[in-house]
Amino acid sequence: MNNAQIEIQLIASLVAIACAIPGTFLVLRKMALITDAISHSILPGIVIGFFITHDLSSPLLIILAAASGVITVVLVEFIQKTGLVKEDTAIGLVFPALFSIGIILIAQNANDVHLDIDAVLLGELAFAPFDRLSIGGIDAGPKSLWIIGSIVITTLGLLLAFFKELKISTFDAGLASALGLSPVIMHYGLMTVSSITTVGAFDAVGAILVIALMIAPAATAYLLTNNLTKMLALSVFFGVSSAIVGYWVAHIIDTSISGSMTTVLGLIFLSVYLFAPSKGLFSVLYRQRQQRVEVSLLTFLLHLGNHQEEEERHVKHLNEHINWQKVQSKSVLDLALKNNMITINNDIVSLTDKGKVFTTEAIDYIITNKNSEIENMKDRFFLFRG
Amino acid sequence: MQEQKIAIQIDDLTVAYNYKPVLWDIDLAIPEGVLMAIVGPNGAGKSTLIKSILDIINPIAGSVQIYGKPYKKQRSLVAYVPQKGSVDWDFPTTALDVVMMGTYGSLGWIKRPGQKEKKASLEALEKVGMLAFKNRQISQLSGGQQQRIFLARALVQNAAIYFMDEPFQGVDATTEKAIINILKELRKAGKTVVVVHHDLQTVPEYFDWVTFLNVKKIATGPVKDIFNDDNLTKTYGINYKVSIQQ
Repeated sequence: MNNAQIEIQLIASLVAIACAIPGTFLVLRKMALITDAISHSILPGIVIGFFITHDLSSPLLIILAAASGVITVVLVEFIQKTGLVKEDTAIGLVFPALFSIGIILIAQNANDVHLDIDAVLLGELAFAPFDRLSIGGIDAGPKSLWIIGSIVITTLGLLLAFFKELKISTFDAGLASALGLSPVIMHYGLMTVSSITTVGAFDAVGAILVIALMIAPAATAYLLTNNLTKMLALSVFFGVSSAIVGYWVAHIIDTSISGSMTTVLGLIFLSVYLFAPSKGLFSVLYRQRQQRVEVSLLTFLLHLGNHQEEEERHVKHLNEHINWQKVQSKSVLDLALKNNMITINNDIVSLTDKGKVFTTEAIDYIITNKNSEIENMKDRFFLFRG
Repeated sequence: MQEQKIAIQIDDLTVAYNYKPVLWDIDLAIPEGVLMAIVGPNGAGKSTLIKSILDIINPIAGSVQIYGKPYKKQRSLVAYVPQKGSVDWDFPTTALDVVMMGTYGSLGWIKRPGQKEKKASLEALEKVGMLAFKNRQISQLSGGQQQRIFLARALVQNAAIYFMDEPFQGVDATTEKAIINILKELRKAGKTVVVVHHDLQTVPEYFDWVTFLNVKKIATGPVKDIFNDDNLTKTYGINYKVSIQQ
């Protein structure tokens, strides 16, 4: 690895960290769409800042862009408050308007300078190491490393200081307000940080793909944990690993770094979505299948309990009378046998004592929905896991 | 009724959403140490009343005094249990953590909860019979258990006044009994408890004070004096008959 490669990966990782932290809270606040809006509508701020300074990494750009990000949020809330349109419509109205102002400004005025629409949309991480900061003639590394580094440190500092306030205003804004921990300040604080981060991520992934770095790691982490601190840590982990893996994929197949990073993020999300231990698609499907079998088991046991006559309890009768397919009948019978709830003599099924007790308890549980008597069954049966 | 200390004094309170009045010129004095139900039809402004007392909603006119001072100066005296449905129960956190949120107010900005806050929260969980579930993720709790967690979160605030917004909504009978017993204990300890309540049948059994509300205040006072068909009809519009066990 040469120096430029290390610098690129370092910048990409810092961008991922800076995005994952506000992203986690945005996902929990169901505000993913507002990131999308901010990521577009900071463009006029960037463009105007660029016209003034002619420097893509000037702090003025960050300030102006953050301001246009916050203006977006204010405008969306203003339009929404009139009650004439819904929130999603308001978002859809505001950000294309601001974004298109930015695009027109670029097309009109920036033809001769280094600010083209491609760079705005996709970013160009590969060039980041060329724009260097020198202090008193000494090389101090790429400018964007300094910018994103300061953003990460500020974000982490704010997170540590206001973790409790962010948590309560995200979970229960009403209580936060009653306790005097202003959820409004937290809301606009988070919006400001998201806007600043989006500008900081501009060089690395562009204005559009930053949304992937904000939302995908948090959405992935959400599927894996029930703890906010762990969710933040996992978001950062997924962000950073996709940044690094994405860089090397781009290096090997010679393609866009930001596109490759985002693709890796998508693939990580997809695999977690499918295979996550309790919230993943396969485990949900498996659980639903088990629950179906168990409901059938209960129906079957109830039927046995209600009928003493032999023809109602014949194995073949299950297929015809309760209207089940052979496979289902077999899996239900197997489950009941495995748990010693029935015995089968000459194809005649009888409830055991254990089966009788289970049926009564289960029906009782379903009717009263009380937890106490069922706790010990929970481990064996999905049905009772709420 | 002897001279009772007034816990909450509301004068000329008017609240409007988009210029449509939700609460109109409410005057209300809630004495210290009562267990009070606020009843009224849907859209009567019951939750709005609580939220304006707690400064969550800004009224367009009127004032609220908690023991003679504005709410902002008296936050530490007040605990609040919002409607259960107002939060996202899929939020990644545990029962204990939610209860600890009750301590955030006394901690103030930036300071983190420590051992003292944890101990108080565990005690509150024990009081509502949920200690065994302290590390359970909150989405894994039943509706009744979630409501108990909310109650524990209010108890840990150790306040003088408790506001509860429909604490019995969607809870099982056992939890309802458990909650009302805790509320009665609070009253016995001299606390003031204000509850938005829906089930008119249980008002005489659970509460000693009642306020009828339907945008305007219809009546307020001791349940035994004012909980009658006349006030119910005035509040609910139609000819309301409720059989009251005396």
